[in-house]
Amino acid sequence: MGRLLIPTLLLLALVAATAGAAREWKIDDRGVLMVIAKAPVKTRARKNPYEGQPDAVAAGEKLFRQHCAECHGDDARGLGRAANLRSSLVQNATPGELAWFLRNGNLPAGMPPWAGIPEQRRWQIIAYIKSLGTPAQ
Amino acid sequence: MILLLVLVAAGLCCPPRAAAQENPYFVAYSHHLEEPGNLEVEVYSIYGTQKAGGDFIAPWMELEYGVTAWWTTEFYIDSQTTFGDSTVFTGTRWENRFRPLMREHWINPVLYVEFENTTDADKTLKEVVGIDNQFDAAEPNSEANRSHTHEIETKLILSSDYKGWNFSENFIGEKNLGHEPWEFGYALGVDRPLRLAATPRPCNFCRENFILGAEMYGGLGTVKAFSLSGTSHYVAPIAALQLPNGVTLSVSPGFGLNDNSHRFLLRWGMSYEIGGFGRKVRSLF
Repeated sequence: MGRLLIPTLLLLALVAATAGAAREWKIDDRGVLMVIAKAPVKTRARKNPYEGQPDAVAAGEKLFRQHCAECHGDDARGLGRAANLRSSLVQNATPGELAWFLRNGNLPAGMPPWAGIPEQRRWQIIAYIKSLGTPAQ
Repeated sequence: MILLLVLVAAGLCCPPRAAAQENPYFVAYSHHLEEPGNLEVEVYSIYGTQKAGGDFIAPWMELEYGVTAWWTTEFYIDSQTTFGDSTVFTGTRWENRFRPLMREHWINPVLYVEFENTTDADKTLKEVVGIDNQFDAAEPNSEANRSHTHEIETKLILSSDYKGWNFSENFIGEKNLGHEPWEFGYALGVDRPLRLAATPRPCNFCRENFILGAEMYGGLGTVKAFSLSGTSHYVAPIAALQLPNGVTLSVSPGFGLNDNSHRFLLRWGMSYEIGGFGRKVRSLF
């Protein structure tokens, strides 16, 4: 029994890890809007202390490639079910809303909270995302 | 050793991708889990002195996978070499961490469950519980490695982030699935990057990539005798370098705080984060 336990547990872990294999995830940026709508009012009005600073945008781009591009793509248009960060839903969100979203994530949808990186770096990432703007239609 | 070289080569060759946000603790855990779909390969070792036997080195390997944003699973392989004795494989462990709350709070709980299939020769000291002390490790490997233990370890992880600092408190309960009583322990951790904001240019050895911190951990007795009597305790500063390409190097000298403790421990290790591992595996099927 003891010998079988570890292989069994490992098999269960593998099954769990690949559980999403058969699913076709749809990109639905409205999910971001629904989560942002839950942001407390006082956090929505927060200003980005790095707004308009080219160095912060460059630092944010560097951080984006380290932490975010894996899911959101190098061009930030989203991979799999990760949101398109150039969409008007994201670009029209206030810096405070994005800061709240970045700190808390959206765990049920697979977006991890990024509270583990310092707040200054999260603001730099937001400065970069905002610099992308909405693409021309 | 080969695995270590592969990790170093991978770290140097691969383009910057997934950089972890996990804290570089060796014993304590924070509430930051592995990012979903990422696989982290970690190789660690501990060197320890002991009064009643030869010094030892206990290497272990971890494979850590983010199953979801709120569930991380991890598999361990342990071994050890005792100087003047022998080198032995000491067992495997499987741990799972779950975030019950979906948002960030002042104090963030994580529930931890681990199954251990190890022998008494295991000296990785990933946790100190009950009345664990340095004399437990003095038994010759030939005898200690014959005694298999199946244990369930549970932890309540509480963790907070404040102005770049992380404060983590772990309360440990461990139960041998034989007829041993519950044993308890604790681990505390604090750390902070040397620089909070990032610099615009890519860099490897700039202050933003260095993290300094400290851990303190020890036993709290058993369910029959919940006390500090006979327990061992340690304090250990930590230094880590988190390279932008997903490689983290960490080192931690530890010091025993009483006569029951190993006088000196030195932990070191390296981890490499493989971003999007789950997606790459899924694409094969």
